[in-house]
Order: sequence, then structure tokens, then C-alpha cells
Amino acid sequence: MSTPNSALLPVADIAEVKAYASTLIRKQGRTATGVLVSYALAGITGLAGPRLLGDIVGAVQKGTTRAHVDRIAMILAGFVVAQAIFVRLARYASSVIAEKVFAELREEFLRKVISLPLSTVERAGTGDLLTRMTSDIDAMSRSVRFAVPEVMIAIATAVLTLIAAFITAPLVALPCLIVFPLLFLATRWYLKRAPQGYLRERRVYSHMFAGITETLEGGRTIDALGLRDKRIRRGDDDVRRAYVAERYTLRLRTMWYPFTETAYVIPVVAALLVGGLLANSGHASLAQVTAVTLYFQQLVDPVDRLLGWLDELQVGASSLARLVGVGRVPADRVATGAQPDGEQLRADGVHFAYRTGRDVLHGIDLDVRPGERIAMVGPSGAGKSTLGRLLAGIHGPGDGSVTVGGVPLVDLEIEQLRREVALVTQEHHVFVGSVADNLRLAKPSADDDQLRSVLASIDALDWVTALPDGLDTMVGSGGLILTPAQAQQIALARLVLADPHTLVLDEATSLLDPRAARRLERSLAAVVEGRTVIAIAHRLHTAHDADRVAVMVGGRIVELGSHDELIAKGGSYADLWASWHGEGPASSGPHSSGRPVSLSGQHWTPSDPSSHTD
Amino acid sequence: MRVLPLADPGVPDVRSPIRFLIWVVNGQRATLTGGMIFGIIWMCGQATVPFVVGRGIDQGITGHSTSALLTWSAVLLGVGIVQAASGVSRHRFAVANWLTGTFRVEQLLTRQAARLGATLTQRVQLGDVVSSATTDAGYIGNCLDITARLAGSIVSFIAVAIIMLSTSVELGLVVLIGVPVLMLLIGPLLRPLHHRQTELRASVGQLTNFGADTVAGLRVLRGVGGEREFFTRYQARSQDVRRKGVSVAAVGSILDAAEVLLPGVFVVLVTWLGARLAIQNKLTVGQLVSFYGYAAFLLAPMRIATEVADKWTRGLVAAKRILRVLSLQPVLAQTTHPVAVPRDGDLTDTTSGFTVRSGEFVVVAAAEPSQASALADRLGRYVDPDGEQQVLFGNVPLTAMALDDVRATILVSDKDPRLFAGTLRDQLDPHRRASVADVDDAIDAAVAHDAVESIPGGLDGVLDERALGLSGGQRQRIALARALLASAPVLVLDEPTSAVDAYTEARIADTLLAYRAGKTTIVLSTSPLMLDRADRALLLDNDRIVADGRHRELVSGDARYRSVVTRDEESA
Repeated sequence: MSTPNSALLPVADIAEVKAYASTLIRKQGRTATGVLVSYALAGITGLAGPRLLGDIVGAVQKGTTRAHVDRIAMILAGFVVAQAIFVRLARYASSVIAEKVFAELREEFLRKVISLPLSTVERAGTGDLLTRMTSDIDAMSRSVRFAVPEVMIAIATAVLTLIAAFITAPLVALPCLIVFPLLFLATRWYLKRAPQGYLRERRVYSHMFAGITETLEGGRTIDALGLRDKRIRRGDDDVRRAYVAERYTLRLRTMWYPFTETAYVIPVVAALLVGGLLANSGHASLAQVTAVTLYFQQLVDPVDRLLGWLDELQVGASSLARLVGVGRVPADRVATGAQPDGEQLRADGVHFAYRTGRDVLHGIDLDVRPGERIAMVGPSGAGKSTLGRLLAGIHGPGDGSVTVGGVPLVDLEIEQLRREVALVTQEHHVFVGSVADNLRLAKPSADDDQLRSVLASIDALDWVTALPDGLDTMVGSGGLILTPAQAQQIALARLVLADPHTLVLDEATSLLDPRAARRLERSLAAVVEGRTVIAIAHRLHTAHDADRVAVMVGGRIVELGSHDELIAKGGSYADLWASWHGEGPASSGPHSSGRPVSLSGQHWTPSDPSSHTD
Repeated sequence: MRVLPLADPGVPDVRSPIRFLIWVVNGQRATLTGGMIFGIIWMCGQATVPFVVGRGIDQGITGHSTSALLTWSAVLLGVGIVQAASGVSRHRFAVANWLTGTFRVEQLLTRQAARLGATLTQRVQLGDVVSSATTDAGYIGNCLDITARLAGSIVSFIAVAIIMLSTSVELGLVVLIGVPVLMLLIGPLLRPLHHRQTELRASVGQLTNFGADTVAGLRVLRGVGGEREFFTRYQARSQDVRRKGVSVAAVGSILDAAEVLLPGVFVVLVTWLGARLAIQNKLTVGQLVSFYGYAAFLLAPMRIATEVADKWTRGLVAAKRILRVLSLQPVLAQTTHPVAVPRDGDLTDTTSGFTVRSGEFVVVAAAEPSQASALADRLGRYVDPDGEQQVLFGNVPLTAMALDDVRATILVSDKDPRLFAGTLRDQLDPHRRASVADVDDAIDAAVAHDAVESIPGGLDGVLDERALGLSGGQRQRIALARALLASAPVLVLDEPTSAVDAYTEARIADTLLAYRAGKTTIVLSTSPLMLDRADRALLLDNDRIVADGRHRELVSGDARYRSVVTRDEESA
């Protein structure tokens, strides 16, 4: 439990992100080429307007017929129709690709997430992963669905428009080039700062919503401790932070916009002025000047879109880096293929540290006999949970060994490990899906009858049958919410289905209220029947019923033996036991006979059916 | 721009959504006006460009006048610069409008949530309403943000209409009637698109939830298996989202095409009619070019008009939801003429027959945990007792005292005390009243040193949201230390050690007793380790105190008591 939560997941570097993105694009092959071609065609047909209007203007100036004007108008209409068709084709095809790429991306990410090494899952926590799963995928969706296609269209349109202007009248178009250095420098300045600014805004807003959520959920505590003003201050502080973050990006835009806005109008002015001068001196026609002027007015839209999406693209790239980064977590074990000989679980001279130099376990030796029940007790921070994780094969020991049937647990394939030993914690997650879905995780091949008999064995069939749709009832968030005790029973049923010979129970029932806990203990009794059990116990009756009790203090096992032996020994366990039974301080002597007759509760083993009558 | 947050967001008009919006608008009239002025300049600037270009062509090129060409080019540049400057100013005002509106509503909601406190926790479904209301604040901001562009659209539309009608009534009417007709034509296409987009959003939401759910249950998944199963299910949903996305694109791309086609055809129409007029010399070539420009420009005000309709509708709906929260009242009635809280005295609950004497340390074991919590709720006045029943402190009913005074005197630490993000020190001593030694003593008493040490930076270390980095037992002990440090005259602790191991619990029982010596303390717990330390152990069954005495006497003498505290099922 004293796990440092600094173990954040890696983030990919720029080269990796680029390689990944280009593989994604290259995979699309011909389809991508098709999209580019249709965008180009849409762009080209869109260029007819200014050119033909120029022609009309030129013709009118020289004097023309209605028939000629009608014909040009018809051609213009034809181009508009063609452009609309190409736009439709291009947009649709690029959406098809974008959806496909994005689907592949998120599926690939989920595949990486569910194959993360056990030790990473235990230590890194789920916060960071959850952010990647939600916000980063969301940011990617904006990039893939909108930013990438918009930027592609904008670039194609802008380039084609420029080309058209130059083809129409190179001399008239040439002066517009002076704005490009201006646009480039201003935009580079902006893009260097903008993504961090927008990312900060997002962080600040999510902090703001988290604060409001805390205020909502913690209403009772706020009332009790008089934290009302403090929560209001927190809210105001969040607003202040959001305001500062917003002011920053606003300042960036205030600097940048005048440059871009001015850069949009200069080419139009230049085309009119220079074109007009050229026309007046006979070096250009009115038609040419009109067409180029209109081209430059038409150029504003794609350039504006292009610039507008660039920062979103940068944000998308940083999200992609975090998604790709998950794949960089190195495997924490390599299966050697060795097969365990028997079910004997052993720890020999085990040392372990989460942070180098700070050992949490100092040389643990423990020989677990098959079929035995061991209870681990001891004060918080003694290393019980850590030892539990090592005994379940989640972490490998730093020094020494943890073996089953002579094979180190970390040398086993994960599927095989699950058949040997399982860790059961307080965490009882119910997945979104049906009850049956939740159970079949552990054994996909199980049929409904098998599921029912497993539920019956842990005394859970009654309430499952009573659910609106029985086994097919949808549970989890958005569905029916199960009580903590029911959720824990689902977890136990999964264990029966997974069928490991050894169980490590980490305070499995401690957070439940006593009445629910009692029922659950009976379920647990059914699960542990015929299995080896190591239980990290909060409640002393669990220890009392165990074959052996291991008392852990400061990363060492300081007492080990049966309940009676430890009571006879008069150590810390005996003190605690005496205190629990209200028999006065242990200093008054050992209490080997101190068990009141009334306490016959068999909380694990259903060997005495008469004790379960409520 | 006003500096945010506002020192006081004010008292909103909650009588109706419209009145509320008017109240919001009245709070920021200056920036709204500023935004409108610059919006008008900016859009009129845009509308002027085709006019200037047309004049330049007519006088400068057709008229072969270099000076006219220079003049109109200079005017065009000037218009461009004015447009750039007013555009930026308009944007700044619009952002100020959005921020002021959104954050002011956000501030109101935070104040309301803090004021409601336990009322919110007691009525769970309200939580959802409030959290949706916080996102609704942004919609109010959107309503305000768009006013600048709306003003610009209205004025520039009128200006262009006047210019066009004065140039050519015929062509002017075509444009002025044609543009709104176009917008109406595109309208029907939007409905199926919105429909499919809503569907897509719903399945994207489901997919995200499925992913989040997988991550949340990852330990379980990696522990017992089912990865392949999950991947298959995720993939199926992901492909479903892909198909829906493509179906949105099928409609969306038609809309994109229509946005090219309809205005395009319209521009062709204007150009064609204009050219015919030009042949008859009813229109100059420059004016023809201008009309081409106007036809393209007028689409912008029309787009803004539809955006306004959309944002204002959403804003009204949002205002309605926000008002549902802002008009909520706390469940407990405040006393109009509160009596001062007695300095000291016994605390009595007539419902259950429970009494604790001043300075006593009692532990109440309840047969049903929910009854214990109900007792705690009554003792701290989180609910009022039924009918004639009362809770008295020093013989004064709690209902006669000011609620804040009750809270300051009787501290109830419930079963699920919340920790908030921030430094640990701030957590333990939110009001900054305790000395370093006091804080240390409280941590000692709660046996919480290991929890403090597990946080990088110790007391100055930062807890994440809801302190999720700590284990359940650690959180519980930090909350206990906080409750102790508040040193309330009466302290009620509901199951303070339920997530703590027996060793630690035994130590806490000892330290607690010493720490609270002389101060009234009520612990609700069935743990023998706790009950053994108490001055008196009490048994609560069927909402009545049914046993009262020393733990050891009760264990041996009272079967009901024994069955509850030792979990001995035989005697039950």
C-alpha cells in the first residue's frame, strides 16, 4: 500500500510518433491517393469562378452579345456542379479513411492497455491510463476526423488557387509573394506558444470540474468541517487560473491575428494596384486583373482554415505520443516454459523494494503447505500487501525467490499463473455488461448451467435469479448497480471459474458492513474449500480460524505458528487477542486458555454447517 | 476586460430563464456594447471590400486613371487595416463576454453547491443535475459571445442591401431574397445530419465509457483473464462507431457539397443577370464585380443568424437547468431567533434514549450499521428527529440553535469522510488554526504516520483528487486525524477504523481515548478493541439503546450484545 505512485507511463518521442503516423497513412495506400485526387479535382473546378467572371468582364468591356454571356454563365454553372460532386466524393472518401484510421488507432491502444504487464497495472494506477483512454483519444478524434482532412483540403485549395492566379497573369500575381514571409514568421511565433497554452487551458478546466465534483460529492464533509468558504475559494481560484490561461492564449491571438488579417488583404490590394497599373500600360487585360483579384480574395478562406487547424494538429500529435507511448512499457517477465512440479508455494530469502535502496521486505522465508490456511496479520505498513503481491506473482522479488512447484512465479505464462495462484483484493470492479459477461471473463467456455452452479456454490444464485433478466441483466455503470457485497460475490464466482489452487486474499471483506461480510464469508468459505489460502487479515477471527498465523512487522515475519502456539508464546499476537476479547492487558500473563466457549465461529470453512443458521 | 473571478457574483434573478439571462446580460453591458460596436465595424469592413474593388476597376482601370487607382488601392488597404484592428478588438470583447458570463455562472454554482452541502449528498440525483449545470455555464457564455457578430451581421446586411438596391433594384432584390431562401434550402439537410450526429455522439460516449470501464477494472482483468473477450467486444463497438461515423459523413458530405453548390449557383445567377445588365449598360463592370462579391459576402451574416438561433435555444435550455440548481433550498430549516449554544452539557437523543454525559467516551455498537449512521445524523443535526422527538445539548434542542453553531460544537465524521485535493497539511488543518505540534499529535493519535510518509513531501505533499493515491485504511486515518484536530467539544465518529487492521485499530483505540480525554466523544463501532476502551459501551437495536455498561460485563452478561460484537452466530 505504500506504493509510490510516481510510476507514470511512458510517452513516445517525436520520431516514434512520426513513424507510427506514416505507417498508418501508408496502410491506406490507394484509397488515400484517391482522396487526394478528388480533393485536387474539387479544388481545380472551384477555380473557374474568378477566371470566367474575368472573361465576362473583359467581354463586356469590349462589347459582346447576350449569347456569349449566357454561354459563359452555363459553363460556370457546370463547373459549380462538378465542384459540388467532387467535394462530396472527397469529403466522403476522406471520412471513410479517417474513421478507419481512428478505429484502428483506438483498438490498437486498447490492445496495448490490456496487455500491460501485471506489475505496471498494479503500480501505475489507473488515473494516467484513464486520461489517455478518454481525453487523448478524444483529442485524436478531433485531429483525425477534422484537423487532418481540413488541413489537407486547405493546402490543396490554397496551392491550386495560387497556381491558377499565376497561370492567369504571373506579373499581376507576383507581388502577393511579399506576404508569405510575414505570414510564416507570425505563425511560427504563434505555433511555438499556442499548443502549450491550449493544453494548459484544458488542464485548468478539468481541474475546475474536478473541484466542483469534489464539492458536490463531499457536501457532508464540507458541512461538518465548515469548509464552505474554503470550497468557494477553491472554485474562485480555479476560475482565476482559467482566466489567466485564457488571457494568455487571447494575448497570443491578439498578437497573431493582425498579421494574418493584414496578410489576407495585401495580395488583393497588390493585385488591384499592380494589375491596374499593368492594365493601364497595356501589359495586362482587365479580365486578368479581375480574375487575380478575385483569386486572392478567394485564397483567404483556405489559408484561414489551414492556420486555424494547425494548433489542433499539434495537440493531436502530443496525444498520439501518449497513446503510442503505452506500447513502450517493457514486459516484466519472460516465460521460460518451465512446468511446476506440484502445488507447493515457497518464499526463500525474499527482499523487495519499490524504490531502490528502500527495502519493504527484508528476507522473508515462508513455506506454504498445499491445502493450508495462513493468516497474515500486522500493523499497517508492515509489508503484508506487498508480500501478498509477490506470492501471487505480480511482482518478482528483488532478491530471493518465490516459487510454485519449484518454478519461479514470474517464469510462468500469465494464463498458467492464473491457474496456479490468484490475488483477491478489496477492489471489486463490476464491468459494464451482463452478469454472465462478468463471470465468463475467467472462463469464456463456461455455459449458463455452469455459471449457475458456480453462483449456487457461493450462495449467490438466489439474488442473481431474482434480477430482472437473471444472468443476462446488464450491470456496471449505466446498468444495475450491485451492492458491494454482490460485487464481491461476482469476483468470488470468477475465482471459482478460474480455479487456481492457491488464493491470496488481501483484506477481501474488510470494507463491508458486518452483516454483508458475514454472508460473504460463507461464500468465501465455499471458494477456499480445497484450496491453499494466504489471507491478509484485518479481523482477528480470520486469524483465529487459520492453520497458521504469520505476524509481520517492519517487513519481517516476527511470529509464525498456529493460533494456540502464538497465544502460548505470549507475544504481540497474544496481546492483541487478549485485548480483542476484553481480557485485560497481556501483562497479566499468557492466555493460552483464554478462548471463550462462545466463540466457535468457523468463518472460512463450512465444515460445521450448524454454525450458519441466520 | 473585468478581472475574474468576480469578488461577488451577485444574487441572480431566478424567476425564469429569460429573466436570468437578462440578469446576466445586465452584469456585463459594457463589454457587450464594446463587442457589438467592433463587430459592426468589422463586418461592415468586410462588406466594403467588394465595393472598393469595383470602384477601383471602374475608375482606375476602365477609366484609365492612375490616381483613382492609387486612391482606391489605398482605401482598400485602409479598409483592410481597419478590419484587422476591429476584428481583433471584436474577438477580445467576445472572449471577455464569454469568460465573464461563463465564470460568473460557474461561481454562482460553486457557491450554491457549497451552501447546500449535506443536502446535496442526501439527495444523490441532484449531483447529476449540478454537474450538468456546470457544463451548461459554457452555453450561457456562448449566448453572450455571439452578440458581437450578430450586431455586425444585422448592420452589414442592411448596409449591403442599401448599396445594392441603390445600384440596381432588380439585382438587389434577387440577392436580398435569394440569400435567405438559400439558407432555408440548406436547413432541411441539417436535420438528418443532426440526427445521425446525435447517434454518433451516443455511441462514441458508450465506447469511451467501455474503454474507461476496462481501464478501471484492469487489475481484475489482468488478474483473472478475459482480455481477449474484452478486446473483441471493444472492437465490435469501435467498428460500430466507425460505421456510424461513415454514415454521418454520408449526409455531412452532401451538406458540404450543398454548401458549394447552392451559393455557387446563386453567384452564377447574380453574375449572369449582372452581365446581361452590363451589356445594356445598366451596370458598370466594376459594379458587376462588386455584386459578385456581395453575393458571396452575404452568406456570412446568414450563417451567423442560424448560429445565433442555435446558441440562444441551447442557452435557454441551459439556463433552465441552471435555475433548477440555483433555486434549491437546504433541507434543514434555519432558526430565525437562534439560542446560544451551551458551553457544555449532556447530549441526548430522545428517539433512541441515548445520552452521553459531558466529557464521556462512549462507544455505541449497533446491530444494523444503518441505525448507527441514523443516530449520528440526528446527533449532528443532519436530519431532524421524527415528530415530538428531540436531540438536546445541555437541555437545549439542536433545532433552536443556529446550524453553523451546531456544526462548530458537534463534529460528526461520517462513514465516508471525503478528502480533497491539496496539500496534506491543508487537509488536516483546513482553517490553519493548529500548531505544528498539534498536527503531529493528531497524526499520532490517528496512527497515521505511515500514510503521511507514503506521500512524497509528507505534510507538504499534495494529495490528488479524492486522495486516490492512498489506500482505504490510510485515507480513513487521515480523515480521523483531521476530525481530531478540529477539537470539537463533541466528536461523533462513525466506524472510524472499519478499513484498518486489528493491530492498528488497537493502537488507535488507546490513543483516541488519551487524545479526547475530558471531551465528549461518541464512537459508533462494533469492534471489541474499541468497545473495551469506552467509559460505557452501548448497544443500539431497533433504534433503541438496549444495553448500557462496561464492555466486559456486557460481553459476559448480555447475549444480544455478545452476538453483535463478537459475531457469534450461535447465540443469535
